[in-house]
Amino acid sequence: MNFPPEAPLLDVKNLRVSFFTPDGVVGAVQNLSFSIQRGQTLALVGESGSGKSVTALSLLRLVQPPGRIVEGRIVLRSQRAGEIDIAHLDEKSGLLFKVRGGLMSMIFQEPMTALSPVHTIGNQIDEAILVHQDVSRAAARRQTLEMLHRVGIANAGQRYAQYPHELSGGMRQRAVIAMALVCRPELLIADEPTTALDVTIQAQILGLIKTLQREIGCSVLLITHDFGVVAQMADEVAVMKQGEIVERGPVRAVLKNPRHAYTRALLDALPSRRARVA
Amino acid sequence: MTREDSTPLLTVRGLSKYFPIHATGFRRRVTGLTKAIDDISFELAAGESLGLVGESGCGKTTTARCLLRALMPTAGAVLFRLPDGRRVDLARLSDRELKPIRQHAQMVFQDPYSSLNPRMTVRDIVGEPLVIHRLARGAELDDRVSEILARVGLQPEHRSRYPHAFSGGQRQRIGIARALIMRPSLIVCDEATSALDVSVQAQVLDLLKELQRDFQLTYLFVAHNLDVVRGFCDRVAVMRQGRIVEFARTSDIFSAPQHPYTRILLSAVPSPDPDVPMNFNVGEELARLDAETG
Repeated sequence: MNFPPEAPLLDVKNLRVSFFTPDGVVGAVQNLSFSIQRGQTLALVGESGSGKSVTALSLLRLVQPPGRIVEGRIVLRSQRAGEIDIAHLDEKSGLLFKVRGGLMSMIFQEPMTALSPVHTIGNQIDEAILVHQDVSRAAARRQTLEMLHRVGIANAGQRYAQYPHELSGGMRQRAVIAMALVCRPELLIADEPTTALDVTIQAQILGLIKTLQREIGCSVLLITHDFGVVAQMADEVAVMKQGEIVERGPVRAVLKNPRHAYTRALLDALPSRRARVA
Repeated sequence: MTREDSTPLLTVRGLSKYFPIHATGFRRRVTGLTKAIDDISFELAAGESLGLVGESGCGKTTTARCLLRALMPTAGAVLFRLPDGRRVDLARLSDRELKPIRQHAQMVFQDPYSSLNPRMTVRDIVGEPLVIHRLARGAELDDRVSEILARVGLQPEHRSRYPHAFSGGQRQRIGIARALIMRPSLIVCDEATSALDVSVQAQVLDLLKELQRDFQLTYLFVAHNLDVVRGFCDRVAVMRQGRIVEFARTSDIFSAPQHPYTRILLSAVPSPDPDVPMNFNVGEELARLDAETG
């Protein structure tokens, strides 16, 4: 499918997600609009409860009841599948199935959320391929081994047959990245992908995401609370507070000259900045 | 008086903790030892904040736990100066001798969600140390709990509530109140702010600073986050593989790191300044360092 080059890959318009609890309706995301250009990285940054993870889940239509997308459009302009409004797809539609893991995939903070403890690493990645591509098991296995190698897992043949608990946290996150990218998605959603990792492992995983993004040519929606990760990874940043975007713009502009008071407050709370002032 | 003040509050010499590695099988024979920490030595002056930083598995938590005798060290001495000027070796005392001394050295834990008993009210959680050490009861206990809650920024009416009713930052304040109520001279903070959002983290760090001034506290601050240590600690010890690889004043560690590991660690921290690029190649550099040092 051909779209004009200036048409964003993803357009989220007036998204509203609410949770209908017995104690009343809680608006988790309110009137949210943003877009992501092809090949670019948008960072969604905010504190706990700001609605950034709910936003990520809504893009894949994974918000669980009592939560529900109440309003808005989520338009994905896929090269492979054309223009899709994900917010209005039928829950059982084949297209939604194709979006999840095929056109868009997601990695989580805790790799075990995405991994099954009772299947081998290789089996799980094979499965992702077989679900979305019409290939033989042997071909899937070849792709899996190649992908494991590409995410920097040494001895891919041996790791293929191992279970997640046999891998370290950093290795598991690599395996999850392999699984997420093996079908060459057009958008990768990374929800705090390195928050649980040590800094030296974090640096390697972030570097890996950058490299693979370039190779595959996908866009990345990076959810994080860490302005350091934003500064090093993203092209654009949107600062969220209480379900709304309070400030949005190119990373350099927002981090160097924040216009909104909340962005300034968050940046001033960074220990490195406080150290400089003190 | 002067002599007393010049003695470090804590002197650690040759502290080591080895864990046995057991064979699989019924007899579980010991087949080797993991040196969790190996020959650690440092001094901690009264009123100082020392940061102990390193990555998972470097031995920083084991060190903290050995100091407070939550773990029995394999070897080494932990000389602790009591308020009356006596010095005791925490590594050698019997459990009975240790108990009255525990009130002087307290700990604040990382996870405010799992370190507070969900079935106890704030009054019971914060007052429990006083009850255990038989230092207060009845109305006096209540007064002291209210007083300490006020000091950490909580309200007296919070006493009758349970931990679930509080936010992460408030829970960490409860944990601090519980440590502080014993009027300790040393507080070990094990990743005390790691689970908190940055703005809440900043508030808790400010609180700890303020309490340090008011109560003449000495902190050992265990953290994996170099950034937190930067604004908080006077000196920093960087640990790797059970040993201290670099020990210096905080400003020196950040401006002129000496050990290659410290340099790699600092270069891996993503800077919030887009013009200061981070180092994505730390994997190769660490491997090279290991190859060089054997």
